[in-house]
Amino acid sequence: MTRIAIDPITRIEGHLRIEVQIEDGVVTDAWASSTMFRGIELILKGRDPREAWAITQRI
Amino acid sequence: MLDTSIQGPLGGRELSRRDFLKFCSLMAGVLALPRSYAKKFEKALAAPQRTPVVWLEFQDCAGCTEALLRASRPTVAELVLDILSVDYHETIMAASGKRAEEAKKATVEQGGYLLIVEGSIPAAEDGIYCCIGGRTALDILDEAASNALAVIAVGSCATFGGIPKASPNPTGAVSVMDLVTDKPVLNLPGCPYNPVNLTATVVHFLTFGELPAMDDLHRPLFAYGALIHDNCERRGHFNAGEFVEAWGDEGHRKGWCLYKMGCKGPVTYHNCPAVRYNDGTNWPIGSGHGCIGCSEPDFWELGVYNHAELHRFTPPETYAPVYPPEQKIAPASAALMGGLAGLAVGAAGVAAYNALTKPEQEDESGDSPETES
Repeated sequence: MTRIAIDPITRIEGHLRIEVQIEDGVVTDAWASSTMFRGIELILKGRDPREAWAITQRI
Repeated sequence: MLDTSIQGPLGGRELSRRDFLKFCSLMAGVLALPRSYAKKFEKALAAPQRTPVVWLEFQDCAGCTEALLRASRPTVAELVLDILSVDYHETIMAASGKRAEEAKKATVEQGGYLLIVEGSIPAAEDGIYCCIGGRTALDILDEAASNALAVIAVGSCATFGGIPKASPNPTGAVSVMDLVTDKPVLNLPGCPYNPVNLTATVVHFLTFGELPAMDDLHRPLFAYGALIHDNCERRGHFNAGEFVEAWGDEGHRKGWCLYKMGCKGPVTYHNCPAVRYNDGTNWPIGSGHGCIGCSEPDFWELGVYNHAELHRFTPPETYAPVYPPEQKIAPASAALMGGLAGLAVGAAGVAAYNALTKPEQEDESGDSPETES
């Protein structure tokens, strides 16, 4: 059994890590992780609703 | 034979000498230098040695990368990518995973590169909120800055914390200049920053061997030396007291001043009115929305639609005030005003008193105030 991690995945927007588990040349399991967190939902909480577009368009 | 091609790193491109010289003149203009400097730029940019660049992305939306890549004129983005050797940039590089990290490591070990950073760095809980290749952003920035010639932070997040730092700053986001203290750091804030300003900074660095003059927030003066308000195409309307009062009203349709709709132009330093966005097509105020102040620290706390605090500028009092009094004048106070004016200037004051207290119907009936004086 081999486990391969590709981190960072490039040519995308954002940060991504992919791990795959390989048995006899066949992928038996895989995990994707988004490795960056900003907490946009927490920042939006309690704000003037008219500002929501300005913040969410920058996700 | 007439030589129309550009030598050096630009030799392989379909770029005429005329276009290249136009670019050099544009850069002299953006940097507010005499046009004669275009010759110096030409010499520096045609050098065969390309300066390596490591472009790091942390807590970002890739919007600053997009701003650079979406420029359609070859004079901005493509020239940056041709003049420089971009050795590491997650969004555009071909290699991924281990090979990508190895490319960066090789450049960092060699030194002599420009480090460009996009996105803020989460410092809470030892930096676990942003990890690349199994390492924290804190660790990656520390290593990449150690051997760099200079560090350029692009966008509001890398320069001042931006959205991730907006209250309540869940991840403890900090800016590049909070962490890098032993290298020259230049800030190009903006959400997104303007790629023309990055190009001009790079051209300045390659020509003179140093970063351009900066203000106390590490922003280059050529781009952040003037208030948006001072160069705004709608400034005349501010001075004349002509304000948009509601979206879609008469003033909005006529392109009046957006101050009362929350425009932060009077408190924001940026060269947007001159360079604009999307290849000089337009900019927020030009399209009818107020400036949100994106090149200033912590602008998300100002409230997009709250009034900016005016310090140096107030519309002249001879025109309509910024905030017209909401309450109507009470009859008693009107009489007092009329009386006082009458005492002061005699007959003219009496006429004013009469005008103030006269019911509207009488005005419409054709009575002329002049007959009473």
